[in-house]
Formats: sequence, C-alpha cells, structure tokens
Amino acid sequence: MRIVKIREDNCIFCHLCEVACIVEHSQSKDIIKAFKREERPIARCTVEFNYPISLSIMCRHCDDAPCIEACQNGSMHRDERGYVVVNPQTCVGCWMCIMACPYGVIKRDTRREKWGLSTKCDLCPDRVIPACVEACPNEALTFEEL
Amino acid sequence: MKIVIVGNSVAAVNAIEAIRDRDKISSITVVSDENYRAYSHPLLPNLVIGEVSRSEERFYYRRTGFYEDNKIKTILGKKVTKLDVQGKLVELDNGEKLEYDKLLLACGGKPVKPPIDGFDLKGVHTLTNIKSADKLRRDLKNISHCVVVGGGLIGSKVAEKLAKKGIKVTLVELMRRVLFPVLDDIGADYIHKELKRLGITLVLNDSVSALDGDERVGQVILKSGKKIDADGVVVAVGVAPNIDLAKDANLDVDRGVVVNDFMQTSNENVYAAGDVAQAYDIVMGLKRPIPILPLAARQGRIAGLNMLGAGVKYKGGFPMNSITIGQTSFISAGIVDSEELEVLSIKKGNEYRKFLVDEDNKLKGMILVNNVEKAGMFNWMIQNRFDVSWIKDAFLNSDFGWKYFNKAFRVLRLDRKIK
Repeated sequence: MRIVKIREDNCIFCHLCEVACIVEHSQSKDIIKAFKREERPIARCTVEFNYPISLSIMCRHCDDAPCIEACQNGSMHRDERGYVVVNPQTCVGCWMCIMACPYGVIKRDTRREKWGLSTKCDLCPDRVIPACVEACPNEALTFEEL
Repeated sequence: MKIVIVGNSVAAVNAIEAIRDRDKISSITVVSDENYRAYSHPLLPNLVIGEVSRSEERFYYRRTGFYEDNKIKTILGKKVTKLDVQGKLVELDNGEKLEYDKLLLACGGKPVKPPIDGFDLKGVHTLTNIKSADKLRRDLKNISHCVVVGGGLIGSKVAEKLAKKGIKVTLVELMRRVLFPVLDDIGADYIHKELKRLGITLVLNDSVSALDGDERVGQVILKSGKKIDADGVVVAVGVAPNIDLAKDANLDVDRGVVVNDFMQTSNENVYAAGDVAQAYDIVMGLKRPIPILPLAARQGRIAGLNMLGAGVKYKGGFPMNSITIGQTSFISAGIVDSEELEVLSIKKGNEYRKFLVDEDNKLKGMILVNNVEKAGMFNWMIQNRFDVSWIKDAFLNSDFGWKYFNKAFRVLRLDRKIK
C-alpha cells in the first residue's frame, strides 16, 4: 500500500503541501475561491519547523490504527482502498482519535461544529497522486510503498 | 466451531470483526439483555437532552447490516442466567440453552448503587444504558432542579447537558474536586469554572446520605446535614464489572473477571474483555479493571483472535480520557497526580500541560488542557515505556511535535519502521 513518504532533507519550508491540501479539500477546488470566497478547510498535513530542520507530517495510515480502535461510533474507519478515513457525517468530535493517534496528526475542523470535528489525511480519494505530493517542488513528499 | 458472546457492545463487536477477518465459517451467537444493536455509550448524555436521537446512524457503534453482513446470530433482550463451564453451555432467562466451544464474556458493567435510602423513589435515575437514558429523558419534563450525585465522567457530562437544557443542577462530589482520578487540582479548576459558568452549583467534599420524598423524590439529604430540595436525581457514582455470571461459575474473579495476557479467564474456553475484565495496567504494574472504550475495543479484538488460537498477547493498557465540558477540552492519561514522580507542568492562560515521569525516565501520565492535538504522541510514549530523558524538556512547549525529536528516530518512526 502506497502512502506519503516524508523526506525531510528535501523540505524547503514552503508550505505548498498545505496550500494544495486546502485547495483539494475545498468546495470548488479552486485556489482563489478556496482562500478568498469559501470557508477555508484546514490542511491535513502540517509543516513543522525547528531550525535547521523542517518537514511536513500527515497520517501514516497505520496497519493497526489506534484511532479506529478508539472511535466511539465507527466514524473512523478503513475505506475500500485500505486507507484510514473519518466520516464527517457521523463524527461527534469527542477527540478519542486524537487521544489515540501515535503520530498526533488528527486535527479539529471547526467549520461545522464550533468544538470541531475530526479531520485527517484521506490520501485524496479523487486523485491518483495526493495533492501534497504533486505540489511539493523538491520531492520532500513522495507517494510510494513503505 | 461454536462461539458465543455474552454482551453486545464495543468488546463484542471488535471480537466479531477479529474473528470474521480470519474465519467465515464458525457460528457466532451474540446474547445481550439490551434490545438494540451496539451503540455509543459516551453519547448517552446527549441522547437524554435530544442532541442525538436513536434514529441517527451516528448514535450506533457500527452501521446497519453489521450483524447480517458478518453472519451473526443475535439473541437480544435475553439475559444469560447461568454459565456451566463443565458442560460448556450457557442458560438464558427463557430457559434456552446454548452450547459453545469458546465463550467471550463481554457483559460490561452496571451502575454502582450507593447504600442510601430512597433509591427506589420516582425521579431517581442512573445513566449507563439506553433504557436508563430513555427513562431520564421522559422524566425531564417533571424535573426543575436536579441533583447529580458523583462528579465523574458521566456525572459531569450529564450535569453539563441538563444545565444546557435549562434545568437547575447541583453536582455533589465526594472528593475535593470533580473528575478526581483523571485530573489534578489545577486541571479540575478549569472544569469547576466551566460548570459554574453553566450555572451549576458545586458541592464538593460531601456525599448523599438519603433521598427523601413520598413516591417522588423531593429532597436530597447530604452527609454534612445540608438539605437540597430537588425533584430529580441522577446517581453516577461509578460502574462495577458484571461479575456475577463468572463468579457463580467459579471462575477467578476479583473486582473484575481476571484474565491472563491472552484475555483468557481461569477456564481455558472462556475469555473476557472490556469493562467486565480485569486485565494488566501497564502504568500501575498490576491487574485492574479500566472501563474505557479504546481498551474494550483492543481487548475484544485480542480475545477474538485468541479464541481462534492466534496467540496474540495483550500488552496492557492504562486509563485515558478525553472530555469537553463547556468550552474546555482536556485529554489525560495514566497517573495524573503523584508525590513520588517527577512532575513537569506549565499553566499559561487557558492552556495547562502536566507530565509525570518516573526515576527510570519513563512517562507515567499526562494532562493536556485546551491544547490536545498531540496527546496521542504522549500516550504512545506511555504505552511503549519510551525513555524520555532526552525529550522531556520539550514537553512543556505548546508547539510540541516531531520537530523536537532526534532525527534518526523521527525518520524511522514516520517511515513506520518502529511501531
């Protein structure tokens, strides 16, 4: 199963992965509309910086995902591709997945509910190559078998 | 093989999924005294005030069709009255007998009833299943002032929800703070403030000695002598494992049903998982029941695998909780208050971070208030007895994350080379 491999030596802290992720998960998938007109989704990857290192981090799609185990109503589940995704229609925002995630990559989307619903990398179901990987100018993110 | 599962909640469902992942042929029968498919217990307080309803899919633990798709025979609304480990059968309250080759006890817990007078009066409620939630919901119209007994997870949550509904609420807690086992004094102070902001009256260091009234409860009498006029009471002083079945069958029972590393009870064909089981606590280093949902799921899965002979070990768990009261969210895990352990803590504005480290530099517990997104990284360190000597200085940074780790370790972890 292919996931996004993180090559931190190549990261130049440009945040383009986050921009691409926001656009991909926006209503219109248009960069201007996503940033200026619509309610902006949050990026599911996060760029961390601590001189001299920087890297973008997102869900590792664990084989024995603790977030699925911790979910109180089956919202966090494995989709037909084998990736770990959350169903925003049933998520109640209890943060048990955040409590369980060993990588700390589940975020709170406060658009629909003010306390926030779980949001995480879904490995772009509408695309062949995830948006963050395609946007990365220096191959700091690649899509491959781990 | 004939598999029988007593109970139909988190542990049972995860056992079913683990079994069906490897074995499509064995017959699986689920027996439960509740007449519903598996649902989400943490949502019961929301169900009481109508924030979720039973017609919504998100109230349930698995989607419709789960039992049919997995070819599970369900016997709902029937109680198991007897377990015969020699004859390998269970007896139901309608006289029916079920034979098994492997049995899973996943029958959960029941609300603790404090030894006080007036428990049978109208208007006195508990809240651990759909039936009790429905009873409380139907009674809400008769309640103008409710006393919630017990400031634990259920107690605080139901107090918050009732206050939101416009009911006057008094919360009575035996200890000096609410959420005693899962927060320290500073952390609980945030919750006290939230509860007060919601208009809830807090009575700490006190407990109920009697409930008074004719037919319906009218007054709550506290140990301190104080009397509170109330027309509703919710008793939420804890949950105890449902051990009667195992005890009567002479299985090894302590506070819960004692299990080994394979979730097996003292009888080799009987397994136990979830709130009913007494399994290993990796932080305390002893066996005790930890009634939390993620561990019920894990234990259920491991029990299911081992019933098929997979020989998978349960590495032990520890308590961890995530709750939001009002506008304050927190996640805590393991030991949260200790004199013996090294304590790292910082409080800045509405954020509070606390970490407890033992003399071997192993993380033993933590509290995160209002900045919780990295909580799981700490729980990983607790679970894996990770040496934190070189990273603990960074724990108190609000932006704690992967950037503070040693590069070689970070790369291996993010490449999933270290589990």
